[in-house]
Amino acid sequence: MLSRSAERLYWLARYLERTENIARLVSVHMNLLMDLPKGVEMGWQQLISINGAEQEFFGKYNVVNERNVTRFLLVDANYAGSLFASLSAARENIRTSRDLLPDEAWEHVNEMYLHTKTNLDTVSSRHGRSLFLNEILKGCQRFTGLLSGYMSHNNPYRFIRIGRNLERADMTSRILDLASLLLSESRSDEVRQYETILWMNILKALNGLLMYRQSVRSRINGDDVLDFLLLNTDFPRSIGCCVEEISHSIQLLPNHESLPEKIVGLQSYVQAIDIQQVTQLQLRGILDDLQNKLGDLHGQIADNWFLSTPEI
Amino acid sequence: MKSIWENYNTDVAYDELMYSEYQPRPVSHSLCQYLNSLNKENIDKRKIAAELAIMEMGISFTVYSDEGNIDRAWPFDIIPRILDAKEWKIIEKGLRQRLTALNCFISDVYGEQNFIKDGKMPGEIVNSSKNFRKECVGMKPRHGVWANICGTDLVRDKDGIMYVLEDNLRVPSGVSYMLENRVITKRVFPELFQDINILPIDDYPTQLLEMLSSIAPHQNGKPQIVVLTPGIYNSAYFEHAFLAQQMGAQLVEGSDLLVDDDDCVYMRTIEGLTKVDVIYRRIDDDFLDPEVFRKDSALGVSGLMRAWKAGNVGLANAPGAGVADDKVVYAYVPEMIRYFLNEEPILPNVPTYLCSDPEHLDYVLAHLAELVVKPANESGGYGMLVGPHATAEEVEAFRHIIQDNPRNYIAQPTLSISTAPTLCNDKLEPRHIDLRPFILQGENTFVTAGGLTRVALKKGSLVVNSSQGGGSKDTWIISMEEG
Repeated sequence: MLSRSAERLYWLARYLERTENIARLVSVHMNLLMDLPKGVEMGWQQLISINGAEQEFFGKYNVVNERNVTRFLLVDANYAGSLFASLSAARENIRTSRDLLPDEAWEHVNEMYLHTKTNLDTVSSRHGRSLFLNEILKGCQRFTGLLSGYMSHNNPYRFIRIGRNLERADMTSRILDLASLLLSESRSDEVRQYETILWMNILKALNGLLMYRQSVRSRINGDDVLDFLLLNTDFPRSIGCCVEEISHSIQLLPNHESLPEKIVGLQSYVQAIDIQQVTQLQLRGILDDLQNKLGDLHGQIADNWFLSTPEI
Repeated sequence: MKSIWENYNTDVAYDELMYSEYQPRPVSHSLCQYLNSLNKENIDKRKIAAELAIMEMGISFTVYSDEGNIDRAWPFDIIPRILDAKEWKIIEKGLRQRLTALNCFISDVYGEQNFIKDGKMPGEIVNSSKNFRKECVGMKPRHGVWANICGTDLVRDKDGIMYVLEDNLRVPSGVSYMLENRVITKRVFPELFQDINILPIDDYPTQLLEMLSSIAPHQNGKPQIVVLTPGIYNSAYFEHAFLAQQMGAQLVEGSDLLVDDDDCVYMRTIEGLTKVDVIYRRIDDDFLDPEVFRKDSALGVSGLMRAWKAGNVGLANAPGAGVADDKVVYAYVPEMIRYFLNEEPILPNVPTYLCSDPEHLDYVLAHLAELVVKPANESGGYGMLVGPHATAEEVEAFRHIIQDNPRNYIAQPTLSISTAPTLCNDKLEPRHIDLRPFILQGENTFVTAGGLTRVALKKGSLVVNSSQGGGSKDTWIISMEEG
């Protein structure tokens, strides 16, 4: 398998996962807004913050409101972190990797792209946006299922899996970041009162409510949810599970000798996180740290397998 | 309700499907019967279905423009073009004969040059051809074949005879569109494939893979085959990716490959360097190897010629094969067939005047307004003069261009190329078409059943190139005999 192809498939998976995650993030935020009573301080600013996109956002808009934030995060083709830009990048990567994937994979992503492109304007209303996001989520899920069922679980597949799980771990950490941000910033008891609803929505955003209940078997509370989403190794969107999947795929790839050490380091770092003793602020520090470590892992994967500029 | 055939005009040229407004030729009888059973609304639905399929399958080509490179959907007409299998059998034989002779000629050019020594062609033509590569002299590619993949353009004149317009021996493109056109037609008119005996075409990728395997340097084990593309900004990138995928070969760019000190070609993979045995290159000679050809080429691979000459890698088409893809050399193909094969040509050439010949030049200059003048080495329909369609100023301007460099131009009578019914705003109208079959030659020779039919979508236009407003049709070879 060409180094170039490995890189493209890895990015294809990352961009598609990102597309899905932005859709989840915006959905959960909308749901939260609907559940929280009027007057509770909660705005759209946090969505911008957890993506670290303040500067870019304020370069384009003056006011942080639902309309501007959703436009920016969902359909702005010029903001590289938007849903539409991610989907376009995914399409470009798959367009240039067609030789490695089943026909249906390209056709599916292309269809998704065309459908999204013609429906960009529908996100301005909440109703239209719900439908739009739903289509995205379904499309991304279908793609994952399609590859799992149609494609050999070979090296190309492993790079897709690594990309997907790295991006997923990153986004789970950002969604947890969102929760702790909401909690740490709120001074009113009123929000505290609705903490359960907040955590429930976080679980829903990651499709984890049912699995959480089966695994934890107690009422929903912050520490248990954090525990579940950070350390659980069975639930596909928990960081512990993502890191395990990455580790598994890496072990099966050729020339992986330099990587397991780093992975083991990351795994033990994750498992050593002790939620019971941290404040919201410390938690944010841990999540930041985790995001940096995931970034480092990406760098090592790229150095190890991807095309370095040929020496001339 | 008006018929879609109303006022269908068959006087423009020879029509491939119709004798007259309502009278189909025998080959198109079933198709016409079927089309007449559909109402306009129904036909419109099929047309929309085809457009959707093209969008979803992402069949595209890239157009270069000032606003950047745009991926355009492939323009496709749903009405197929049909040829009788009996006629096709003869054409196919003619195509094999022609490519075999062309390969003998190329071998001879880079070898003994007996064709020239025996006075069949002035040596000057080869020496002044910009596609003659002196670096290739003395090379002997496997099976004596230089042009492994050929796309030959055929047109039918008003006399009903199929003529060879040109042989594309460098990096002919279009075969992926031929294959995709069939996929779409099957989706759009599935009923027809049940009733009509249409020859299948989908074995092309298998045949291509077999041909490429046959030119591997070592015939033991499974050779590592790659398709070398200039990259995603090339207009035919879609095709490169498509063929690689269909063959299960690697699609590579120049920077994925390197030639090591052992003069072997390797690709950079996740496992380290892997040896490459055969390269189906879709890059022009000029850009192939900066060590030998253009120094500024960032698309090619340094040392590729070294590796090829050392016999460590198979290249299709071989460098230098383009020497026979020259409109002046074209004029000598019938003579090549007689000389090398001792046979009479099955497919005729279009009569060709060589501006390098003083007598021909006089004739050409005196009849410019009736002739088509083409540069000897361009493709894509660029830089030519269509006399009957040009203004007096354009003709005069071209006169000077020819006189400045006669070797670079040839002229041919303006053919009245054949038409086929094409869907234009709910109604069928005759549009001019050509046909590009693809011929593979390695250890064996293979010809596609039909080929890519290109159609000039603009009324009256004779230019079928996709870059200039052309589209395409599915091409059916049908057997009329009861099976």
